[in-house]
Amino acid sequence: MSNKYGDEDESKKAKMHLKANDLLCVNGCGFYGTPQWENRCSKCWRAHQNELKKSQDFAKNKSLLSFDQFQERRKSTTESKSRGIKNLFKASPIPESGASSPTSTSPASTPTRRRDLSPDSLEARKHFTDFLVANLSTAMAQEIARSVKNAVTKICEMRMNPDEMSELVMSYYQYLGERIGGHSLFDSPDCKVKVEDVMDQVEKYISTCCYTTFFCASHEEEVADVSLQDRIRSLHWVTAGFLETKLVFKKQTVRDKIDEGISELIEINAKKSAFEKLECLTRSCKAVFEALKESESSMSADEFLPTLIYILFRGNPPLIQSNVKFISRFAIPARLMSGEAAYFFTNLSCALEFARNMNHESLQMEKAEFEAYTTGHLAPPLSVINSACNQAMYVLEGTIETITTVVKKAGGLASNLTGVHGKADDDLEKMLIVIKETVDFYPTEEYLKMKESIFGEEQETADLLVSLSRQSSESGRGTLSTSADSQPSTPQPQLEPSLESPLAAFSQK
Amino acid sequence: MAARNAGGAARPGGPNRTCQFKLVLLGESAVGKSSLVLRFVKGQFHEYQESTIGAAFLTQTVCLDDATIKFEIWDTAGQERYHSLAPMYYRGAQAAIVVYDITNQESFQKAKNWVKELQRQASPNIVMALAGNKADVANKRTVEYEEANAYAEDNALLFMETSAKTSMNVNDIFMAIAKKLPIGPAQGEPTGTVDMNQPQQQQKGSCCK
Repeated sequence: MSNKYGDEDESKKAKMHLKANDLLCVNGCGFYGTPQWENRCSKCWRAHQNELKKSQDFAKNKSLLSFDQFQERRKSTTESKSRGIKNLFKASPIPESGASSPTSTSPASTPTRRRDLSPDSLEARKHFTDFLVANLSTAMAQEIARSVKNAVTKICEMRMNPDEMSELVMSYYQYLGERIGGHSLFDSPDCKVKVEDVMDQVEKYISTCCYTTFFCASHEEEVADVSLQDRIRSLHWVTAGFLETKLVFKKQTVRDKIDEGISELIEINAKKSAFEKLECLTRSCKAVFEALKESESSMSADEFLPTLIYILFRGNPPLIQSNVKFISRFAIPARLMSGEAAYFFTNLSCALEFARNMNHESLQMEKAEFEAYTTGHLAPPLSVINSACNQAMYVLEGTIETITTVVKKAGGLASNLTGVHGKADDDLEKMLIVIKETVDFYPTEEYLKMKESIFGEEQETADLLVSLSRQSSESGRGTLSTSADSQPSTPQPQLEPSLESPLAAFSQK
Repeated sequence: MAARNAGGAARPGGPNRTCQFKLVLLGESAVGKSSLVLRFVKGQFHEYQESTIGAAFLTQTVCLDDATIKFEIWDTAGQERYHSLAPMYYRGAQAAIVVYDITNQESFQKAKNWVKELQRQASPNIVMALAGNKADVANKRTVEYEEANAYAEDNALLFMETSAKTSMNVNDIFMAIAKKLPIGPAQGEPTGTVDMNQPQQQQKGSCCK
């Protein structure tokens, strides 16, 4: 504090006349700012700090998120293959050598394995064993089962980081693939499965076992994932229009397919084995293709990648980064090098890379504009395609359409009604005339009596009024002269309704 | 062309070697990358059952002398904004076709950039081909055949002008690539192990070439 005062003493001499404005928060919120907080008020300072932290977090984690690391790691996997195999099999029995060695190790390893295997892994193990028993000869099935069992035991026992473990698993895949690949059993015509099918099952089992320990294992990975998710959230305004997809959102089928793609993308996180995760991805991508097909757009990569990026932004799938890492760590490498799933996986990696590095240039707009949209200071302009992908917008559109048809129908109904009314009025008038004529022509006694009595009453009233006005004109002239003038005219208007009212009542009956 | 057949093919490890190759398509958007592939893949086999995945990822098998070659064709997004993502696609590719539109000078310039990038960054043994597509509208041509051919010769590229519409040279360019691909005995093994380590495989390929 004393320091600060000392500083101000010196500056006071220089400028004594500080304007009140200079003391205010630089954000212009109307509160006073403090030099400590870079001339911001407490509230603006906190907001500023948050912003700063967010951007620093993202910058820090960007390196963690980068795809290059996978590639480097993969390279190193190849180089240190021999070491990996050695590690994995140092203490493990070679199945060929007979039953003596497995029995010696299993009592020691069984308790550890039991404790470490999750229910999912146990289920995967059962599935795996069933597959082997059903499809392979007993000897072969036993050999593979034993080898994989040992590998899984090692995986559960060894405490190492995911990358090292991935190396080991990769070398194990290759080792096992080579071992069983050369087997003549698979060439014989009565063998229902191929080496690849067996390897699929092995991968399914092993990656499920790895899931508990190595999926999103480190704190950094989790943080990186969360900041990527934040990043994607801040890009929520990047809609199909900005990415120039050719989706036709007007079609319900297109919207359904897009939703299907999004939910499959989110589903990836719910699966445990790399194989199933890739299956989800494949289904998601196929839904994208179907959406493109429904939109009658070409189904080339020019259309596919932007659409995938769009559903990635829309879905913002949880822990997607960790999922991609997990797949690249524990899937059979061949699966990620060739085949449909590999292509889709590459596309997903590209979409993530695009999300990480996206800037104003990727969307061909001004930097300030891009930043304003991202921070939420500005809302992007409405355009047909941008709005078209907004759920609320097409709900609204549907409602408007319904309202329009309802209004049209109501208009038709109203004009019909007017017609009916007019016709009814006409008929009524005609009927009244007819009735009046009939009644006049054949008057009933009651009618005559009523008519007479009404006439008599009216006469009396008129007389009464005349006499009343005469009396009043005698007592106070002038004041009531006007009322006297108007009196004679009153009976007439009274007469007409009284004549008509019974008729009207009659006609209503 | 006569050597091609419908790939009844592909029993791995059989006497007729099967090799799988990844081929990546590069080029500006709307030069006809995907129609070229569609013509190659579907023009021949109408019963082919992969139409549901669109034209972004397709496979096609061709027979060459005593080997069966399975092309796995990866299409890439041609828009400029996705340019930086391309390395992920051509990583581990054994062949690439760079496509331009003969009626569009700019697409030819882009194609040259792609070639330069591949020479610098793709695996050194990659077989590259340059395809001048839309040869059926030669009257609107802005890129001369001689110009492109000279460029291809300078850079040791396969070069053909193609037309996805009339199917001119479409099969030929893929066959020409197939002939240049390294077909080593090591690749006759099941794919489960062959593709495992890309760099190694390429080394094997190069020494058997």
